Amino acid sequence: MSDREIAIEMRGIHKIYPDGVIALRDVDFIVYKGEIHGLLGENGAGKTTLMRILYGEIKATRGIIKIFGKRVKFHGPWDAIRHGIGMVYQHFTLVPTFTVEENLYLSYVSIEPKATIDDVREKVKKLMDELGLKVPLNAVVETLPVGVQQRVEIIKTLLRNARILILDEPTSVLTPIETKELFNALRKLKEAGITIIFITHKLREVKEITDRVTVLRRGRHVGTVVTDKVTQKDLARMMVEREVVFKIEKKPKEPGEPVFIVKDLWVRDDRGLMAVKGVSFELRKGEILGLAGVQGNGQRELAEALAGVRIVERGKIYLYGKDITRLPASRRYSLGLAYVPDSRRVGLIFDMNIIENTVLTNMYRVITRTRRIKWGAASKYANEVIDKLEVIAPGITSPIKYLSGGNQQKIMVGREIIREPTVFIVAEPTRGLDVAATEFIRKTLLALRDQDKAILLISTDLDEIMQLSDRIAVIYEGKIMAIGKPEEFTLERLGLLMGGVVES
Amino acid sequence: MIEDAINMLSNTLTTMTPLVLAGVGEIITERSGVVNIGLEGIFILSSFTAAVVTFYTGNPYYGLFIGILVGTLSGILHGFVSVYLRGDQIIAGVGYNSLAYGLSLMMMIALWQNYGQSPKVEKIPSLAIQVTEGSTIIISPITILAILIAIGVWWWLFKTSSGLKLRACGEDPRAAEAMGVNVFRTRFYATVLGATLTGIGGAYLVVGWIGQFTKFISAGRGFIALANVAFSNWNPLMAIVGGFVFGFFDALSIYLPIKLQSEFGGIFTAEANLFRTIPYVATLVIVAIIMKKIKTPRALGKPYIKE
Amino acid sequence: MSPKEIKYKLALFTRKTRLTFIIEKIRVKYVDYLTAALEIILSATVGFLIAAILLYFMGYDPYEVFSILFRYGYGNIGYLLSKSVPYIMTAMAFSIPSLAGVFNIGGESQLYVGAFVALLVTYYTVNPVLGLLAGIVAGGGLGLFISILRVYRNINEVIAAIMINWTIYFLMVYLITGIFYDPKIPHQSIQVPKSAWLGEFLSPWGRIKVSFVLAVIGALVIYYILYYTNLGYLLRVSGLSPLSARYAGYNPKKAVLYSMLLGGAMAGLGGALLIIGDVHNIDSTMSTLYGLGFTGIGIGLLGRNHPIGIIFAAIFFSGLMIGGQWVELKTGAPPQLTDTIIGIIVIALAIPYAYRMLISMIRRWRMK
Repeated sequence: MSDREIAIEMRGIHKIYPDGVIALRDVDFIVYKGEIHGLLGENGAGKTTLMRILYGEIKATRGIIKIFGKRVKFHGPWDAIRHGIGMVYQHFTLVPTFTVEENLYLSYVSIEPKATIDDVREKVKKLMDELGLKVPLNAVVETLPVGVQQRVEIIKTLLRNARILILDEPTSVLTPIETKELFNALRKLKEAGITIIFITHKLREVKEITDRVTVLRRGRHVGTVVTDKVTQKDLARMMVEREVVFKIEKKPKEPGEPVFIVKDLWVRDDRGLMAVKGVSFELRKGEILGLAGVQGNGQRELAEALAGVRIVERGKIYLYGKDITRLPASRRYSLGLAYVPDSRRVGLIFDMNIIENTVLTNMYRVITRTRRIKWGAASKYANEVIDKLEVIAPGITSPIKYLSGGNQQKIMVGREIIREPTVFIVAEPTRGLDVAATEFIRKTLLALRDQDKAILLISTDLDEIMQLSDRIAVIYEGKIMAIGKPEEFTLERLGLLMGGVVES
Repeated sequence: MIEDAINMLSNTLTTMTPLVLAGVGEIITERSGVVNIGLEGIFILSSFTAAVVTFYTGNPYYGLFIGILVGTLSGILHGFVSVYLRGDQIIAGVGYNSLAYGLSLMMMIALWQNYGQSPKVEKIPSLAIQVTEGSTIIISPITILAILIAIGVWWWLFKTSSGLKLRACGEDPRAAEAMGVNVFRTRFYATVLGATLTGIGGAYLVVGWIGQFTKFISAGRGFIALANVAFSNWNPLMAIVGGFVFGFFDALSIYLPIKLQSEFGGIFTAEANLFRTIPYVATLVIVAIIMKKIKTPRALGKPYIKE
Repeated sequence: MSPKEIKYKLALFTRKTRLTFIIEKIRVKYVDYLTAALEIILSATVGFLIAAILLYFMGYDPYEVFSILFRYGYGNIGYLLSKSVPYIMTAMAFSIPSLAGVFNIGGESQLYVGAFVALLVTYYTVNPVLGLLAGIVAGGGLGLFISILRVYRNINEVIAAIMINWTIYFLMVYLITGIFYDPKIPHQSIQVPKSAWLGEFLSPWGRIKVSFVLAVIGALVIYYILYYTNLGYLLRVSGLSPLSARYAGYNPKKAVLYSMLLGGAMAGLGGALLIIGDVHNIDSTMSTLYGLGFTGIGIGLLGRNHPIGIIFAAIFFSGLMIGGQWVELKTGAPPQLTDTIIGIIVIALAIPYAYRMLISMIRRWRMK
């Protein structure tokens, strides 16, 4: 292997932020030309930071970078682009209101200022023929499905003569079928001699597509191995360095009567298109119903409609037999419903303190008949949240923006718990949290279930769904594909359902 | 009848000039993602400096030039505050308007001891096109310049790659940055350019139209220009049409009372004020009608924050 | 060790010994107040500095001007407080909607209608209370109108407000010079009857006008509404995070409508207080009313959109205005100076992060 050409050599990379946070500590990263190299690690391990340094978005505090043997110092992405590095972000960098053609032209013009749009059209057609990747040139980007948009991103980087392609968690927005297509495309690119770096936290994918993989943990380089020579368990251990507990203690429980019934629900998204198409299910006391599905299949619209934040086109929702379909969210909260949204930006107000955030969904409990707010009572509730959820905060009057993500999440969940609602709708409760906080939240959810609450768990994390659910449902393009007990689903069957494969 | 129409046409061409110039200028600025509501202030300061310079040099072209320069400087200030310091663009604009108003009045009193207006100054000569016996269309070269600029800017924004880059900054600055566009620099230059065009409009108020600086020389015209930007759906060609429409009402409010006075006699000093409300009511109504049909640039008004 | 390495070790050390945590605790409690205070002081300093430069170039002695400004501006407390009344009200007219995320620059016309309606009502009914109420209703109605335009027709509130400002301005000039003029005194409207005037009372600090007391009461009422009621909470949440407001089940339209109603009502009350309590008539050029609305925006910002802060900012500013008039008397420097200063301060206040940015820029430059 020593006679293979080295495409990327990063040595001794340190990254310290001005506030003292150490993102990367003495990391080495070596990629050979023409290989698909995986970059593996948990949330916060430093993978994205390392790649952003490679791409010139941020500067390393210390360290050396060499591209094809030449020492480089990037001042911005345009430097990296000029050296043949292309990055495909998790969140696309396409102008949504421009057409595919305009986007490609815009990006091409940054390296060939004199090019005309016809030049670009020709080059793109050639690329599409060579690689078998097709994109509709005249479509407006935001109307295209995510998988196609990603293809546009890839073509965009190839247009700029990228020899090195960095993909940041590319499959997080794809269905399993689109993922297969992506992997085929990557293999074709590898044949054409392109070097690919594949950032992910999914072990399955590492095993499937990469030649070698580098594992990072907490900003440190743990090791680089040849993929075929290790197992998923080995990689998992390198990522977390403990025997990953894949099973949480879950007591068997007989679910009670149904308390929350949804009948033939139809809901529109922000663009006016139908996002939820005739969903029906029921939640029973003392059970967790896990709703699995790839992001963007109507989960958010469904959750918002159930909570009362979004209006329902058609269909009915019953809480304890009462029709709540037309009730506003605040009324539903006072009747025993709770909703924890998937985004902290929605669920919390960062400039307000803990007390004021607690009151957000608990207003009816602290208000007098003359509409006055009883701040004393509110403080008591805030303290209750802090105690129950073990929140670490400088004080209840400090703005929430100073708390860590995990603590903020705890407040979002905690203020719903203290209301003792009967029905819980939680979306992505552990997204972006470290292992300790994740475990805490999951244990909390199980405790609630043991207390006879009905929980709808919406999550893109299949492990979480499998661990916690008493029943599992799969949503795809606004329809429930299947509902059943966890034993009835293998990971493969789940993947197919999530990908829209209808069972015969 | 035709005489009236020709007169109204001339007047409208006059009133539409600053609206088109500032409108096109602000289209450039807003297409890049920055909103500058300090247009009113730029009108005031540019017109004031144009008056001062023309007064002391006797040459309206010098006045025009300095007025334009003041527009450029204002653009640099607003661009710096909005783009590089990530300031609140609306508040900065409001502050600038207050500043311009206070500053110009202060200097006017200091220079000429007059609380209402400056002395009259020379104007840039206009062209007269004889149409029929006894009636001519008066059109200033700056008006022609304004229309040419609008066409040129349209071509630049929609037919060139640099125009595409600028528009990208206003739709999705993150994407633009990733495609190699320097968003800060583009937005800054767009702001400066837009303010410069507005400066031409402001200077024109004095050296091309009114011939002196008055306390109410702008009287909300800067905001009517903003309405023109929305009306034109951020398209410079439509800004010409919009300028004509808004300018028409502006001209009407001045012309109508004079016309009525000459027809029916009597002096309308108090009622003249009612006529002066016409352009504002008209603008409001027009805005009400068009507001549902326009597409605002996505990233307008939000400071771009790089990680 | 190089300075970079020292910094690195220090960062490690503070993280290890939880020193940062303790520092965080202290910082968090006061940082918001400190930053706000710093911003205000910095902006005001910039404003005065630039004014001093302008004065120097215009041929006046800045030191002399400023000493007259402060000595005479703040000398007569009763006069000072009474002049601050309209500023308190117009500042709230801007700040209340601002907290809810709405930009109200229509305070100008909302004050006009409040003043005019109050004038008419007290002229015909000789009842000051009715006059004040009429002012509140008129101003609130106009504010509500702008918010309706925004909510139901998606009209940008800045453009709408300015158009309405100028329309009402000319409309009122017409009404005052054409219909409601005082036949005995030229260039003036009809007068508020003497028995309807709001008087003044004696206090340890001099004669204080009733209108000031009413203005303070108004500010306290608004403070209560904003921070102790459901409505105020709705407004503040809608302004800080409209998504969170939706999540809580609040209708975002309500926030816009109510905040403009309250804001307009405050401006209208300000106009009414001015007419009934202070000036008692409107002159034909509207010189006593013109500009109060716009200045209110600057004062609202200076007072950080907080009713109590606004009271102090308004008093501070009216001192500048009064002092400015004395400066003109004594030195000939134009009183528009204060307008200019406020304009600069507002621009300076538009960049709240400038101070923090300055620090991080210096840090980055040092790290290179």
